[in-house]
Order: sequence, then C-alpha cells, then structure tokens
Amino acid sequence: MSTSTETETRPAFAITKARTRFFGLSFDECIQTFFGGSALVAVLVLGLIVVFLFREGAQFFSQNRQNLEVYRRAGLEYVDYIRQQESAHTALTRYLADVRLRALTHFTQTEQLPLGDANARLADFDAYADRFADAALSLRGVANDLGDVATSIKTKFSVSQDRLVQRTQLLAAGRKDEADAVPIETINFSQELQPIIMTFPAYRIVRDAFADELNAIVATVPEMPTAGLRERMESFQRLTREYVATFPETERLMQTWDHRKPVSFAESFSAFLFGRQWLTASFWQDWYGILPLLTGSLMVSGVALTIAVPLGVGAAIYINQLARSGEQKLIKPAIEFISAIPSVVLGFFGIAILGTLLREVSQVGWLRWLPGFPIAERLNVLTAGCLLALISIPTIFTLAEDALNNVPRAFKEGSYALGASRVQTMLRIIVPAALSGIVSAVLLGFGRVIGETMVVLLCAGNRIAIPDFTQGLGVFTQPVHTMTGIIAQEMGEVVRGSIHYRALFVVGMVLFFLSLVINYVAQRIVRRRLAVG
Amino acid sequence: MTTERSNPFAARKTASRSLERVFAWMLRLATYLVLACGVFVLGDIFVKGSRTVFKSEFPFVNTTFLTEAPETLYVFDYQGQTHEMGDKAFRAFRAQEENAARAAGRTAPEFSVKESIVYSSGGIFPAIVGTVLLVVGSMTIALFLGVASAVYLSEYAKDGPVVRLIRLAIVNLAGVPSIVFGLFGFGMFVIFFGWNVSLMAGWFTLAFMVLPVVITASEESLKSVPKGFREGSLALGATKWQTIRKAVLPYALPGILTSSVLGIARVAGETAPIMFTAAYVVRDKLPWEVERLGDFFFQGVMALPYHIYVVSSKIPQNEYTERVQYGTAFIFLLIVAGIATASILLRHHLRRRYQW
Repeated sequence: MSTSTETETRPAFAITKARTRFFGLSFDECIQTFFGGSALVAVLVLGLIVVFLFREGAQFFSQNRQNLEVYRRAGLEYVDYIRQQESAHTALTRYLADVRLRALTHFTQTEQLPLGDANARLADFDAYADRFADAALSLRGVANDLGDVATSIKTKFSVSQDRLVQRTQLLAAGRKDEADAVPIETINFSQELQPIIMTFPAYRIVRDAFADELNAIVATVPEMPTAGLRERMESFQRLTREYVATFPETERLMQTWDHRKPVSFAESFSAFLFGRQWLTASFWQDWYGILPLLTGSLMVSGVALTIAVPLGVGAAIYINQLARSGEQKLIKPAIEFISAIPSVVLGFFGIAILGTLLREVSQVGWLRWLPGFPIAERLNVLTAGCLLALISIPTIFTLAEDALNNVPRAFKEGSYALGASRVQTMLRIIVPAALSGIVSAVLLGFGRVIGETMVVLLCAGNRIAIPDFTQGLGVFTQPVHTMTGIIAQEMGEVVRGSIHYRALFVVGMVLFFLSLVINYVAQRIVRRRLAVG
Repeated sequence: MTTERSNPFAARKTASRSLERVFAWMLRLATYLVLACGVFVLGDIFVKGSRTVFKSEFPFVNTTFLTEAPETLYVFDYQGQTHEMGDKAFRAFRAQEENAARAAGRTAPEFSVKESIVYSSGGIFPAIVGTVLLVVGSMTIALFLGVASAVYLSEYAKDGPVVRLIRLAIVNLAGVPSIVFGLFGFGMFVIFFGWNVSLMAGWFTLAFMVLPVVITASEESLKSVPKGFREGSLALGATKWQTIRKAVLPYALPGILTSSVLGIARVAGETAPIMFTAAYVVRDKLPWEVERLGDFFFQGVMALPYHIYVVSSKIPQNEYTERVQYGTAFIFLLIVAGIATASILLRHHLRRRYQW
C-alpha cells in the first residue's frame, strides 16, 4: 500500500534506484565488470601464450641434458673427436676439388683447351689430390670402428631405458608379475667403454703416421697455371699445416676426456643457444642448436630490409612531401592494399615465378660479376628476401608516412622562410624530425619479417645449415632454413612429448621473446622522442 | 627561351635545382617500383588463375573447380591419344572401355598411366567452405571480445596501471608472430583442452591473433563519436550503460565493422596459425556431413591458404598442376580482395552518411 502511494507522489522523471543486484553488484557495475573482464582478455592471452610455450617447451633443457649425457656416457663424444679430425681433413679435400675445378675452368675457357687435354694437364694434380685423400683412410677406419662400438652402447642403453619405462607402466597398472618379468640390464658404462679407450695407443700410431704423411704431401705442391691458383695452393699448404698443428690439442682432449663428468644444465642451455647444428633423427647423435635457424632468419630479414627500407621510406617521403593530392589519394590505398596479399600467395608466387626468374637473370652473361651469380638453387635467401620486402614495405610505408605527417607544419614553413630548398627542407628538417618514427617503423617492419612463416617456408630453400660465409656476399644466394619455417615444417611430424617436439616449442619461445623485444625497443624510441620533443 | 628570360622571377637553373629534380625522380621511381611489383604479382596470378576459373563457353565459370572436392589427376595414353582425367572419371572410363572390349570379345585395352598427381583435378569446394567457416567463427569471437574491451578502454577506464598493462598487452600481442599463435593454439586448445585439430581450436587461435586489430579499430571509432552525444544522454538522466547502448555504440558500429573487415582479410589469409590447429590436407566429407551437431565444432576442415601451401610445396610444378595452383590462388585472392574492397567502399560510404 505504502509503495503505491510513493510511486504516485514521485514525479515521472525521478530516478528509481536499481534494486537488482548480482553478487552485490548493481546492473551497471555488472556491465562494467563484464567490459573490464573482456579488456583483460588481451593480457590473459599474452600470459597464456607464455604459459603454454613454457609448459610444452620448458622440459626441453632437461631432456637435452639427458641427451647430451648419453652422448658422453656412451663414448660418442670421444669418438667425435676423431670424427671431427677426419671431417676437417675432408674439408681440405673439398678445397682441393674446388681448386681443380677452377684450374679446369681456366684450361677450358681461358686457354680454350678441349676437355680431354685439360684433364690430361691436371693428371699431376689429380695424383696429388688422391694421395692427400687416401692419407686419411686408416684414420677413417679407426673412427668407423669406434663409432660402431659407441652406437651399440647407446642402443643398449636406450633399450634398457625403454624397458624401465615399460616396467614402471606395468607397475602403475598394477601388474607386478609382468613388471618383474621385464628384464632390465644395467649398463656399466666404464666397462662398456673399455674397448674404445683401449684403442688410444693404436689411434696414436695411426694418427702419427697420418700427420707424417700429410707433412710429406704438403712439402711440395703441383704446378699451377695461374698466379691466383698458385696462391690458393699456398694457402692450402698453410691450412694443412695448421690442421696438423691441431693434433696435439685433440690428443689432450681425448686423454683428459672422462665419461663420468656430469653434463651441467648450462651446457644443455648453451648447446641449444650456440649449437651450430640442427640435426634430427640421426643415427649418431641429435643436435638441437638454434644458430643455423637464427642465421637463416636474420639473413632473410637482412635482405628484406635492405630492399624494403629505401623503397618504403622513399615512397613515404614522396607521398608525404612531393606527390600531388590526387596521386596521394591513389597510391596510399594501393600500397596499403599490397599488405592484404596473403603471405602464402606470395610464397607460391616465389616458387612459381620469382625463383625461376631470378635464376634466369643470374645466368645472363654480363651479370656474372655480381657475387653469388649464377645462382645454383632456385629457392634461396634472395628469393625469400625479395618477397618479404614486399610484405614489409606497406608496414614501413604506413608508419613512416604517419611519422612524417606528424611533423608540425611550422618546421617546414620556417625552413622555407629561411630560404632552404625543398630537398634541403626534406632531408635536413623533416626527415630528422620524424626520424624516431621512421626508425620504429623499420623495427616493426623487421618484426613483421622475422615472424613471417609461409614465404620463408616455401621460398628460403629449407637447408638446415649455416651457410658458407667464405663466399662473401654470394652467401645470400644460398638456401637456408629459418626459425618460423622449421616450426611449420617439423611440427606436424614429431612425436608429442619427444625432445624434438619440445625443441620446436623452445624455438617458438625464442621467436616470441624476440618479437617482444623488438616491440619494446620500437615503442621506447617513439616515447623517448615524444618526451624530448 | 626568350619568355623565360623575360620573367625576372623565374628560378634559375642551378646545380641544386637539378639535384632536387633527380632526387624527386628517385623517390617517385621507388614509389612506382613498389606499385609495379604489387601489380606484377597480382596480375600474374589473375591472368593465369582466370584461365582455370573462367572459360569461354556457357556458363563461363568453371563450375567443377568451384563445386567439387580435389581429386587425383591421371595422365594416360590410350589408343595413341593422351587423356587427362580426374580419379572418378578415369575409373569410370576404364571400366567402360574394358567392358566394351570384353563384350566385343577383344582383350582388355591397355592404359599406360604416365603421371598421377594428387589434388590436381576436381575442385576446391571444401577448402572454400572451410575458409568461410573459419572466418565467420573467428570473427564472431574476435568482434565480441574486441568490441567489449574497446568499450571498456574508451568509456569506462581511467588511466591507471591496469589500463596501461592492457594497452601494453594489446600492442605486444599485435607483434607476436603468427606461427607462435599456432604453437600456442596447438598447446592449449588441441592438446590441453583435448579439442584435437578442430574448427573450435582454429576459431579461438585466429580470434586471439586478430584481437589487437579489432580492439584498436573499435576504440578508434568509439573515440570518434563526439563527446556531446554522451554528455547529452547523461544529462537527460540515462545511465552509463544506456548512454553507451543508445548514444555511442550505434554511431560507432559502422566504423567498428568497416575497420574490422581488415581483420577479416588477415584471418582469411593466415596459414601458420591453422596449420596445426584446424586445417586438414584433404578431407572428403563436407563440414555439415556430421552425425551429431556437437561433432560440427570438433572437426578439422580444409582451408584455402593451407591448400595453396600444399599444392605449391607437395606436388611438382608442371603444366598439369599449374591449373589448380593458380586457380586456388586466384580464388583466394578474389575472396580477400573482395573483403578488402568492400571495407574500403563501406568506409567511404559511411563517412559521407554519418557526419556530425
């Protein structure tokens, strides 16, 4: 009764206080909470990315430590000293082969000899190279024999590990009898390693003979036709002598090598961060080193930015300062439209057109002087870099144009009033004033490029190795693999929970933190500039 | 010459002036070079792709390519002629010929298959459907979350540590590589939630990826609604929520939708996040051919960008595969370009309509 009189007496526009309350919140507060909660999703997602990357990837380092521990316990590390020695010799053999190729080219092209005659002229050289290659035969034999022993120890160990897992599983399932029936062999590594360690004196004899032979070989070199080739042979002599000089060091390492030495966590960490090999499913030893992938990513981004920065910033300056307004209205959306081209389409274009095109261009005679030309592989750093440049240009262009746009008009007017020309005003006044914005635009472009997946997966050539930097700039025409590419390529094939699977997540982590750092630096540059200006 | 000399104010031709012209031309060249590259890429795909998609006789569009699933292409010699056929047509043809030969009492004819290439015949219909489903689902989620957080940021939030944290997260989220989103989606949705490779996993992965774009775009259009609208509404006694719902959102909505369309182009174009979360290389069933409704959300689909990746990397480049490669890329570009153009047109249209 009383309520009805109250409503009657109250005017129609009076605010009735909301009575509905959920969990002590009024309706409006509820709505605010809902919106606030949605806004927190961005924070939450960022947090979840970190959590799940760690959840899947963090165990990598302990698994890798075990991996390295087995490598040491089973004596693979010991045998690798010899194998490395042998592969260094193989590298020298390749050097000789390269010299031979150059000499042959000289004979056939400069001296116009027929192929048979040219080969005949190289008979001496061939004998020399053969002798050099054969010198390592006995060393190789030792390495192979010891390698077989070491791998068999490793296999034995992994079999017993598997059985251990099997037993724990059976125990967990409550089938104790069956679990007890699983035979488990405990591996006594010191005992197993005896056959390997015992061969050390024999190895020494072989190695000494090898060193003597090498010294005897490089005492003389075959006659070479040109000064350049003679120089190469001299450096071959030098390299071989340096190589022989490393023998005592290897011997010291082998003598002090101890299979019981524990593998520290830091070693596992540095094996990933500074590892020069990414080798999976190998019969010998798997390596998860990020360096080849990181080099690949950085090289591709380097090429992309070298192309994209002048073009993107140049276009931004042109559109902002020089273009007529009609041109501006047409070109700005057109360049922004390029960013809508999906990267996978660009990758396909690279495979179908650009790779072949670049290779054909590189085979044109008068372009041969360029480093790395003619290109051997259709898909390489250059192909991927060109396409990534096209991807990053719109980003760089848009942000740089914004930065130029934000320069106060007074700067320009003041400069003109002082009698500066247009170019002077642009280069001395406007670009420096917008420089922080331009630099952060380039950084964000870099972030875009290094995180790009499909183009590098399709066009970078996918060879997992640090490219040969001795070729100078020609290195950019070699195929590489990248961090993003390796995740995309191998994620679908790995066993869930295996060390390889976790390694891919760790690569993802590296990418994630790299992108955060790039973002942070870019924002920092802009903010500091704003504070100063 | 004479007229020029008679003008006392005409600029003299000095070294610095010609340098200026050279400089301007260099910049102009850079700009048009970029455009030329873009045009070259698009032009190549449009020209070669339209050969697959369009044809000269009625109905002018290659309906097989647009409405059928991918098939294996067989190239074979038969009775001195080279035929190219899809898997089904090839089987039917062979059975028919063999039956005819048997009926006539001849020995079965010889088919020498020269090449059989997967995915190179038939069409890409399941991939188109899958892409549409992925885009619609993920944009629904992204718009819902994105607009809500934009409303909070522009209407409710006061500057403070929480808001700064949110803004920092948005900016950083925008820079995270798409492949990392793929890994995250795989770790969280596919494994931890046990959704397997499914539409749901793809939706959420893509939605989170595009979230920063949607939030930034929505916030901008909310901010562009004049303050007077809000003040007028509040002065009339409306509550905050009533103001937002009646006086702010309707005016911001066109802007939100148009700018978010650019997000759609991004979602449709990304391959890396769906590689391990939603996309199948090939799937015979169409998404709606499921037994229970619940299965619909937990099934993987084919998607155009992933299909392009598969046909350009897993099968060789030759005259037989070129059709499907360029055709798929063309259709895909057409869809993305259609969305982007629609957004530009819509923005243009709405800007004229909603002026205050």
